[in-house]
Amino acid sequence: MSKGNSKLSLTLLAIGFVFLYAPILSLIIYSFNESRLVTVWAGFSLKWYGELFADSQIMSAAWVSIQIAFMTASLAVVLGTMAGLVMTRMRRFPGKTLFGGLITAPLVMPEVIIGLSILLLFVSLGDVIGIGSRRGMTTILIAHVTFCMAYVTVVVSSRLSEMDRSLEEAAMDLGANRVKVFFVITLPIIAPALISGWLLAFTLSLDDLVIASFVSGPSSTTLPMKVFSSVRLGVSPKINALATLMILVVSIGAVVAWWLMSRDEKRRQRDMQMALQKGD
Amino acid sequence: MSSEQQPSSAGSAAPRQEMLGAENYVQLVDIRKEYDGFVAVDEVNLAIRKGEIFALLGASGCGKSTLLRVLAGFEQPTRGEVKVDGQRMNGQPPYRRPINMMFQSYALFPHMSVEQNVAFGLKQDGMPAAQIKQKVDEMLGLVQMGAYAKRRPHQLSGGQQQRVALARSLAKGPKLLLLDEPMGALDKKLRSQMQLELVNIIERLGVTCAMVTHDQEEAMTMAHRIAIMDAGKIRQVGTPDEIYEQPNSRFTAGFIGQVNLFEGKIEDDEKDYISIRSPDLPAPLYVGHGVTGYEGMEVALAVRPEKILISKDEPEQPHNKAQGVIEEIAYLGSHSVYHVRLPSGKRVLANMTNVRRWASESFTWNDQAWLSWGDQSGVVLTS
Ligand SMILES: Nc1ncnc2c1ncn2[C@@H]1O[C@H](COP(=O)(O)OP(=O)(O)OP(=O)(O)O)[C@@H](O)[C@H]1O
Ligand SMILES: [Mg+2]
Repeated sequence: MSKGNSKLSLTLLAIGFVFLYAPILSLIIYSFNESRLVTVWAGFSLKWYGELFADSQIMSAAWVSIQIAFMTASLAVVLGTMAGLVMTRMRRFPGKTLFGGLITAPLVMPEVIIGLSILLLFVSLGDVIGIGSRRGMTTILIAHVTFCMAYVTVVVSSRLSEMDRSLEEAAMDLGANRVKVFFVITLPIIAPALISGWLLAFTLSLDDLVIASFVSGPSSTTLPMKVFSSVRLGVSPKINALATLMILVVSIGAVVAWWLMSRDEKRRQRDMQMALQKGD
Repeated sequence: MSSEQQPSSAGSAAPRQEMLGAENYVQLVDIRKEYDGFVAVDEVNLAIRKGEIFALLGASGCGKSTLLRVLAGFEQPTRGEVKVDGQRMNGQPPYRRPINMMFQSYALFPHMSVEQNVAFGLKQDGMPAAQIKQKVDEMLGLVQMGAYAKRRPHQLSGGQQQRVALARSLAKGPKLLLLDEPMGALDKKLRSQMQLELVNIIERLGVTCAMVTHDQEEAMTMAHRIAIMDAGKIRQVGTPDEIYEQPNSRFTAGFIGQVNLFEGKIEDDEKDYISIRSPDLPAPLYVGHGVTGYEGMEVALAVRPEKILISKDEPEQPHNKAQGVIEEIAYLGSHSVYHVRLPSGKRVLANMTNVRRWASESFTWNDQAWLSWGDQSGVVLTS
């Protein structure tokens, strides 16, 4: 590759990064702005963070969102793992392909349609048996679980299908029944996939605006809904502060996950080296 | 270990046949296994004796693993019966069978130490902790892995992993031990060493063993008896020397080792000999034992290369001989293989042991040579 060519590609790379991260960077910078005007820099201050924590509406919306995200992630992991097991461990049964398709359909379904269809379901259920008529946290939770589960299923079943089946067979051969094999062998081995599935579902739920808007009730405003509605009344630096905090949390999570994984990998490599040296 | 145990594990195990126990310890009766209409195993009838090492030998895809998995309980046979020590195994899940398996990939649990791996089966039986500890130590000692008890599987070399896998599958004292391609993941040098050691350990514990392999040398070295499988069916069962010296069909004769097959018709069928006329050879074939056949029956005579003598002068016998041109000589150190082309176009292999240094130089390419063999050297094959 010629020098001019590599310069060009470096420039393109830089432009790409600027395009991606400049908005986020300016958002972070302006969260420390003294001025109420988002576009004018007037000196460093933490006052918007103070105001953010003093805003009981935002705080309660955040609390609602975190609760929902936590429960969604946990339920989605349980259900997604079960679906993954059916997809990868059960022998063929009529409709298995259809089942797989249906379970992963929400991945490609427009959110508006998911939201709308779940809302219609709740409305008609409300007419028939009276649940779902009071929309609130429970209905958001149910809606979130249905679409997050699809993501968890994909993550978990790909891990399950690449796992060596003979490990489970060996455990069964040594006297452990199917349930025991699952908890003692399968689960510990696929645990990293469960954790990443959980984190994925947590962020998806925390992030969702469209579906939650369809199925929420008056008492249950999630954080994205709150942010969206307050931005429509004019952008407050408070929202910048909130966004900065969320970026911070997500980054810490990502770094910790990366660190854990790379440490694991390093240890594995060192052990391997040791085994090779000492090997018979 | 006593000194007299050494040769039995080092060479053919056949002499130890009489030490084996009950005739029908493990029984497979008319086993058939279909996968969605595809027949993987069919009409399999086998009886394995107590304490025997039994090998299933066959080409890839012939159904060896399927048969082993039927024994282990991972697959239910479509038809037929599996019995171990008189107990019917059909319908029993793997975790209720007194059978343990060593997997080809070893299948050591990656999240458990060597010790925990070996203890796993014992724990499932609810054995008290102190007893488990003792048993694990004993098993790890047996496979010489005591020093590695605290390691994780991925910290072990391939050979060490195999030892741990063996210890784990022996820990529960199974009535039947299954080995699926036990040497498959080892390099060649380690392989021959482990074959002997494995046989040693299995014989010392007296455990009955069924193994699967596609390596005939491995089957011959390790097993008391071998079953040759082809396309889901058992073609022949016998000790290594029976399989080699008395193949029952053209298939087994060709499958094990090298063989010269002379196709022909029975010309004369007497009580204690037959003669066969083969278009491949000018002289008649004379076999010094009777067969159940009739005159004019199409048969083949199988003669192993090492049974054929190669000489410069014409042998005196009137039959079992032919003259040809040496086309190729493969020098293999201990012996040389001569490829001799007969006037009929038939190519015959003859081995000659290199008794003296440079012995192989007495013949060279394009020499005329005489081939001959004895009345008892060939086997008449009718199928
Ligand atoms: N679960 C299955 N579903 C469908 N067909 C199968 C299944 N398992 C095995 N077969 C088929 O059954 C036949 C026998 O398979 P098997 O694994 O027993 O062969 P093998 O003798 O062990 O071969 P190899 O030496 O390659 O391991 C093969 O043709 C294989 O394609
Ligand atoms: Mg196989």
